[in-house]
Amino acid sequence: MTGIRSNRSFALSVLSLALAFSGPAAAQEAAIRIGAVLPVTGKESKIGSAYKQATEFAVKEVNDAGGLDVGGKRMKIDLALLDDTSDASRSEQLVEQLMAQQKVHAVIGGYGSQLVQAQSVVPDRYGIPYVSGGAGATSIYGRSKWVFGVLSPVENLASTQMDFLSDLVAQGKLKKPLKIALLIENTEHGKDFQKGVKDYAKAHPEFSVVLDESFELYAPDFKPLLGRVAAAKADLFMCDAHLEDFISMQRTYTQMGLYHQMVTYGARGADEAGRKALGAATDYIFASGWWSDLLPYPQVKAFTAKWKAAAGSAPQWYHATAYETVRVLFAAIQKAGSLNPEAIRAALAGIELKDSILPGGVLKFTKTGQAVLPFVVTQNKPDGKVDIVWPKEARTGEAVAPMPKG
Amino acid sequence: MQQALDVVVNSFLAAGLYATMAYGLAVIYGVMRIINLAHAGIMMLGAYTTFTLFTHFSIDPFLSIVVVVPLFFAGGVALYRTVVRRLPRSGSTPSMESLLLLFGVWLVLQNLAYVLWSGDTQSILTSYTLKSVSLLGVRVGVPSLGVFGMSALSLLVLEFVLHRTYLGKAIRAVTQNRDAALLSGVDADRISAVAFGVGTAFAGLAGTLLSTLFAFTPDFGRSFLLKAFCIIVLGGLESVTGVAAGAFVLALLENVTAAYTAVPTSLQDALSFTLLVVTLVVLPQGLPGLSRLAHVRRRG
Repeated sequence: MTGIRSNRSFALSVLSLALAFSGPAAAQEAAIRIGAVLPVTGKESKIGSAYKQATEFAVKEVNDAGGLDVGGKRMKIDLALLDDTSDASRSEQLVEQLMAQQKVHAVIGGYGSQLVQAQSVVPDRYGIPYVSGGAGATSIYGRSKWVFGVLSPVENLASTQMDFLSDLVAQGKLKKPLKIALLIENTEHGKDFQKGVKDYAKAHPEFSVVLDESFELYAPDFKPLLGRVAAAKADLFMCDAHLEDFISMQRTYTQMGLYHQMVTYGARGADEAGRKALGAATDYIFASGWWSDLLPYPQVKAFTAKWKAAAGSAPQWYHATAYETVRVLFAAIQKAGSLNPEAIRAALAGIELKDSILPGGVLKFTKTGQAVLPFVVTQNKPDGKVDIVWPKEARTGEAVAPMPKG
Repeated sequence: MQQALDVVVNSFLAAGLYATMAYGLAVIYGVMRIINLAHAGIMMLGAYTTFTLFTHFSIDPFLSIVVVVPLFFAGGVALYRTVVRRLPRSGSTPSMESLLLLFGVWLVLQNLAYVLWSGDTQSILTSYTLKSVSLLGVRVGVPSLGVFGMSALSLLVLEFVLHRTYLGKAIRAVTQNRDAALLSGVDADRISAVAFGVGTAFAGLAGTLLSTLFAFTPDFGRSFLLKAFCIIVLGGLESVTGVAAGAFVLALLENVTAAYTAVPTSLQDALSFTLLVVTLVVLPQGLPGLSRLAHVRRRG
């Protein structure tokens, strides 16, 4: 009996010792659990996969450097990246799963306003910080203090383009007054673009919107709509469209022999797929973007070089925004000095990432949680060349305005 | 006057496109009373097949029709033999099983396309893609003219097959009364297989033609499918000529609305569905019902 008791005591002592020694060791090795839900497959898979690649790249970079400094302790990142198959309801479920079951410390959101909109209702339920790098629709932000977004509002995309056009007027390249034919896709993205253009035109009498129409995504025939554009006799053609609609519409526009002094399709124009589908018909179209590898910042050059070395190709805007999403979250965790969700959230709300690769060079969030950064305006030139034409300080070439005919 | 010409020419061209999308759906529905929900997926596959032939073998999209049509006919017959024929028959109305099955086939095709071609937006740029010609003073895109020509040719071929060959007569017999056709010695199962093959071949052809006009992803075809439903209801569900007429009525309505009214063009789809509802309520047999009514009135 005594033997059994002594054996039990011995076992308990060993267990206590093991626990005593393993405790601090476990704490030292404990990782920061970061969740991410992205559309790796399905209709958003092209950019979703790019977001995955850039997210993993950013995490690997930190882990290879020994992890993050959290309150004096080096901690590595344990990334749980899930595929929502571009399905909004699945996307929401997976964010919930990460927060409720896997107890992640923070979540990196998806790509596409519709998916991010679905995800963005979850963080408030669990009080977990959430940062999205792939949604610019303003309606997503300002409803929850836990939701942050790196993409600037689409409204600003439009107002940046209007600033660029105003500058062309100031330079005497375009003659005022200028009439705008405005077409938008019937989405949140399109409505934000419309608001940006119309608000600007209201405040600047040299511009007037003479046609304001919307169209459904993937419309089968743009001729009736472009007939109205022709009848409006506008000077400028401004449209906000998805890549597929941009290609179809610009083909019809070209076949109909339409001409405007300046043409934009919002963020579309410089895309490789668009230029491949339209050839010379994309020349001189101007577009706004969240990033360009032509930005003349040393940190952009450094990022571009290391991305090329790792991925074997030049980074696109979505690689850069995904990378910065991870970086800003990690900077906030370091600033918080703890893994407490409220501390991370507060750090995100007050953060200023001063070596950001995004336009302006400083990434910070507004009261709604959405970053408001300048956009770059690019203009396509013949033979596949692209120049940054706005802002002035980042110019790589002169804007050609008005566009040459034919 | 020029605006009226614009409207008429553009309506004809759009009708050519719409009719091409709807022929296959009408043939399958007519013979088998099945609404082929996989139609959009087959059109998408047709577009990708054309894209592959263009990028890998430099075959012009319009020439690729000689490969696409037989290939998709064989695929359609195979799909019928392996899957569709196992569906329980439900008389003159489409069964829930057929809707679910073909919806499933659509999802499989979509995912197959994601695996084979990824989700990237693809398109075909030929030497004539951006070219246009003047027709009655209206600038018309060369690909649109090609699509219209192929659509008209398809209508002629279908009409010839349906009215001048034994196969066509058998198809029409099964369309009108399957049981009576069986009693007359028509192999209804074989005819159904051929009809499914023809419908699939036309969907593939539509995909080829659409690829000359639009960029596409594996999700391609969804919006076209809805429009095709409106057209076959308007065209009378079983009549190929009716489909062409239905396509023209819809295209004309869209173009007239855009040219002469202030109705936003974003309401084009709403316009299609309004037309669908009105047709179902006022003229359930579609446009052929209107001509039958006129015929009866003349006689009586």
